[in-house]
Amino acid sequence: MNPDSIDRLLSPAEIVEHFGRLLGDGLVASSVYERFEGRKTSGSVQIWLTIDRRRLKEAVRTLIGIHFPHLTVISGCDVGDDIELNYHFYIYYGRARGEYGVFLKTLLPKSDPAIDTITDMIPGALTSEREKQEFFGVTITGIPDSRRMFLPDDFPEGVHPWRKDETGIQEHMVKKLYEVGKEPVEKRREAAAAAPQQPQQPQQPNEAS
Amino acid sequence: MIARKEFNPPTAPAGSRIRTVIGPVHPALKEPIKFLFEIEGETVVDVDFAPGHAHRGIEWMGMRRNCVQIIHTAERICGICGVSHSLSYCRAVEQAAGIEVPPRADYLRTIYGELERIHSHLLWAGVAALELGFDTLFYKAWEVRENVMDLLEYLSGNRVNYGTLQVGGMRRDIEPAQHERIFESMDYYTGLFDDLLEMFLDDSVMKTRCRDTGVLSRGDAMRLCTVGPTIRASGIPTDVRQDHPYCAYGDLDFKAVTPEALGGEVHGDVYDRIIVRLLEVKAATQIIRECIDKMPDGPINAFKKLFLLLNHVKKAEGEGVGRHEAPRGEVFHYVKLAKNKEEAEAWKVKASTYSNLMSWQTMLKGQQIADIPIVVASVDPCISCTDRVALIGDGKTSILTNEQLRRLSRRKTEALRSGGAP
Amino acid sequence: MTISKALNKSLWVYHLNSGSCNGCEIEIVAAITPRYDPERFGIKLVGTPRHADVLLVTGPVTRKMKEKVLRVYEQTPDPKLVMSIGACCISGGPFYESYTLEGPLDDVLPVDVYVPGCPPRPEAITFGVVTALRKLEELQRRK
Repeated sequence: MNPDSIDRLLSPAEIVEHFGRLLGDGLVASSVYERFEGRKTSGSVQIWLTIDRRRLKEAVRTLIGIHFPHLTVISGCDVGDDIELNYHFYIYYGRARGEYGVFLKTLLPKSDPAIDTITDMIPGALTSEREKQEFFGVTITGIPDSRRMFLPDDFPEGVHPWRKDETGIQEHMVKKLYEVGKEPVEKRREAAAAAPQQPQQPQQPNEAS
Repeated sequence: MIARKEFNPPTAPAGSRIRTVIGPVHPALKEPIKFLFEIEGETVVDVDFAPGHAHRGIEWMGMRRNCVQIIHTAERICGICGVSHSLSYCRAVEQAAGIEVPPRADYLRTIYGELERIHSHLLWAGVAALELGFDTLFYKAWEVRENVMDLLEYLSGNRVNYGTLQVGGMRRDIEPAQHERIFESMDYYTGLFDDLLEMFLDDSVMKTRCRDTGVLSRGDAMRLCTVGPTIRASGIPTDVRQDHPYCAYGDLDFKAVTPEALGGEVHGDVYDRIIVRLLEVKAATQIIRECIDKMPDGPINAFKKLFLLLNHVKKAEGEGVGRHEAPRGEVFHYVKLAKNKEEAEAWKVKASTYSNLMSWQTMLKGQQIADIPIVVASVDPCISCTDRVALIGDGKTSILTNEQLRRLSRRKTEALRSGGAP
Repeated sequence: MTISKALNKSLWVYHLNSGSCNGCEIEIVAAITPRYDPERFGIKLVGTPRHADVLLVTGPVTRKMKEKVLRVYEQTPDPKLVMSIGACCISGGPFYESYTLEGPLDDVLPVDVYVPGCPPRPEAITFGVVTALRKLEELQRRK
């Protein structure tokens, strides 16, 4: 039995407080969001926590102590100098109307985009971690399998599709499928501009419309 | 071409292993997958996979399109679960942009989601029967499915890719005059349900082939983060509609469907997954009836005009998450919006098979080659189109086609029927 | 419409997915179910390209699949026809620009029949195969 596990059900505020207590200043920010739909009988809860990247593994261990989580996916965004990663966990599943989404957000500086793996605790995270490595150029230390997952093998190294800077997809790499077999756009525009202009018929406004 | 052999699994000499490749045209939701099996005799010893053959760069496209264009792209991520992806995306944008959806639209969305579930589960039932060798059952299941396809065409205008969802609500309403047609369809399926159960579950050969095949234990299912009927068949009663309700599910009394509902214990095998999916078809008909009875009045969209929606989303800033229980499992979309930008800042799509990928490795170990098609199909990765199997061993290469793989699977069924050894 | 003896009143069809969303796939498989019943025309779905007369290709060709598509095309014996099913194959469809797609199908293979739609209805696909049959017959006659 895990000595850190908690047997009773916690409310969202208690979860935030629990993380605050165990992580201290590792917990940078937090917010709780609740959404009601339909006839607003019951809602769904999301807890967003921003964690320092060096304390992420500890945060995941804390979460496992509350209830073994279901990792949905790791999403991310390129925000200028950093790469923001969001770990989307869900706890208390199996409990009607009682599941909480706990989303851990971390910022990785582009100068050193490294973070620890969590596959030793949650083996199902492997797919998501491999995907982040190839799409963002993040280095996941300790990952058991760092092969490419979705990109073709002959895709150039160092190009990361979801980044918005010079390592992202450049325009010359993009193929426009609807242009294949046609003359280039510039030529078509030149041809249209060079065609003799037809005299415009004056349009009489229709009274009825 | 390998020589035809009698169906007696040959005893392999000790230490001889063959590496087999299946794929890449294959049953995953997003991409056809290439499998690499290590086989000793007739038993699978190790499994590896390489996805990415249908990677089209959709999330990158999302960063260049506005929110309405993304809905049409999202619907075509997977043809079978078009509503799932567009619904999750719409909910994510609604959270990020702070849009309140009218209750009537929530109920309409639920109806479309459940209709899609019926058509998808019947599709899967036919494909599973095909993999086992029951062609008649495959044709029967797909013929029965045509009723719900007609209904979807009647309501939305198209059999696949309905185009009825919009950020902020729906584009099309269901008029009271159409309710009669919906109830007719639901009555048809309710009347057919017992026959379906009998055809699939009471057959002795089905039981022998599916019981204790492709077992996924409870602990493994949780650790590998599986979703959908796969995890429910392993005994964990988790369902996004029950646990984290959205749309109209919060108002309905919905319970996750597990194999215990038909009595008996939970094995976590292929047979349990068949039970879960068929029972969900029945649950779907009840939900649709309830939604129509309890449907609230009001507008169907928070925005009357499209340009109002686009302006609102352009000025919005924030992140949102949308989650839906697709027929295959949980579908998840994450959207981040930036101020004064029409295109999405970030868009992450997680399809249900993405989560179920890793469970194949555990389920296929220790199975026979003839069981590979049904175990792979039991996770319901869209359409089973296993391409070709290449046996590479001792420098000799031979190609087993899809036909031969399926023939192997059928031969096993016939051998069981005639009382031979499995 | 006479059916040439070489084809023996039947047309065997092999379906190849080059990275599609599976919408066209399910309409192709729906086209062989009892409701639309193409077997009365002799149209049958086979499991290997080596038995096929017509290749039904769906999906915008992804980079990983391009080589496989070419290989399947070479494995199909002559006389053969290629049909591109769905908007993705014809001009990219909703995936009109990408860094990992190798173009509409006629940038990769010579296409004979185009069936537009997203996805095309099963009746449209059957009609497409019958058109292919007419074209194949025409090709045979010209030889």
